[in-house]
Amino acid sequence: MLLNLQIKDANMGHADEFKTQLTNLFDTHNKKRLILNLAEVEYIDSSFLGALVATLKYAISFKSDIILVGLRKDILNLFSLIRLDKVFKIYSDFDDALAK
Amino acid sequence: MSNRPHKILLVDDDKLFLKLMVQVFKKSGFDCDTANSAEEAIAVLDKHNPPDIILSDYNMGRMNGLDFRKRLMEDDFFKNIPFVFLTYFSDSDLMIQGLDLQAIDYVIKNTPVNVIVSKVNNILFAVDKQRELSEMEVKKAAKSLNIKSIPKSVPTAKGFEMDFWHNAFHDIPGGDFIDFIRVDDSYTFVVLGDVMGKKWMAWFFTFGFLSYVRSAVRFAAFNGEYSTANILQQVNKVICYDDVLKDILSSLSLLLIDSETGIITYSGAGDLPLLHYKKSENKVVHISSTGLLLGLFADGTYNEHQIVLQPNDRLFIFTDGMIDFVDATGKKSDYNRFASELLNKLEAQTSFTDIKTYFDEHLPDQVDDQSIIGIYKL
Repeated sequence: MLLNLQIKDANMGHADEFKTQLTNLFDTHNKKRLILNLAEVEYIDSSFLGALVATLKYAISFKSDIILVGLRKDILNLFSLIRLDKVFKIYSDFDDALAK
Repeated sequence: MSNRPHKILLVDDDKLFLKLMVQVFKKSGFDCDTANSAEEAIAVLDKHNPPDIILSDYNMGRMNGLDFRKRLMEDDFFKNIPFVFLTYFSDSDLMIQGLDLQAIDYVIKNTPVNVIVSKVNNILFAVDKQRELSEMEVKKAAKSLNIKSIPKSVPTAKGFEMDFWHNAFHDIPGGDFIDFIRVDDSYTFVVLGDVMGKKWMAWFFTFGFLSYVRSAVRFAAFNGEYSTANILQQVNKVICYDDVLKDILSSLSLLLIDSETGIITYSGAGDLPLLHYKKSENKVVHISSTGLLLGLFADGTYNEHQIVLQPNDRLFIFTDGMIDFVDATGKKSDYNRFASELLNKLEAQTSFTDIKTYFDEHLPDQVDDQSIIGIYKL
């Protein structure tokens, strides 16, 4: 599954809805691998990060995965500072992720 | 209570009446959204910018006011927005049906518009007051149980000076937690965590995390085992098996100050790198750990750093709220910007008290809880 996250400010207001929609997606699409494009996201707060990581944990529990693409430099930097780059597979864009 | 204007969603298929209502509510300081039908109202409603109250006509085209209310009742978010019916009818059956749907009130359309505005203002005042009282009740209960996620004072550790600064987001306790655990004259643990989330929900979970950290530290101390990495691994394992906390994630920085040797041992779980200010070189260096967020995987891959501070060196541990800021283009996170800002202050020989004053004055565009601990080598 390829998915564009069309949120500029990924914050607490979106976190619960995001988690619910993604877990539903995994449940209804036979638990496939998800590639999530964050190119439009300019800021992620800790609540949204929590929702993203909790959804990954859910995906991993049935051997699926969430792959992130299109991260802005400062968001990628934040991921690397708190070691989330070791937790998520991160690629530059959809094509790059699909090629790997 | 917030000082922003209240926002009202006015729903009516009578365009002229709607226009009149908008004029009157705007004059009374309201922000107004309008819809000419229940269907349009459903499309207009935005969870990220919701109205404080909805005033809806009963008798509308395809979907009437009652059905509109029923639709909102199916949504966990929108059902909690105060809803008032506006109608020409004063039918008691209709009122009972509406009250079953938890409509707060009825307003008969013939009522003078200034009276309608007063009624809406009274409802919003009552709702705001109730919210304020609920928050006060929670704060009172937490106080009476003597539960704190931020300490009142800081213990002493021979050879070091420690202090912290904490700023709760919108003055509501949130996910940051701090603790100083003095084991004896030699050993003092320093704890800084950040439960992912904001406000009350995150604050509630801080106590679960803090209890596990405190217990693990005490057990380790009883057994004379002073490994911060092992303590983190124990805490992480327990959280991964805890039915309540397993879906909640938290960062944690755990430090052990050994006053005899002067060595500080540090392990981190998904936390930001610490900043070590080296006085002799007048620079800050980052100290990164390898550990993952608590609650993520059963093996958190925690490592241990031994940090030696020279006299007048300083060590800073902080949560992500410190590196967030808002500029003209929006919210940002910038670790290096914060590190250089701190270095600028330290170059001026600033004490931690001065730094706290600086943060009070210069970090107003807050987007999250902010916490920082400073450890100064004497």
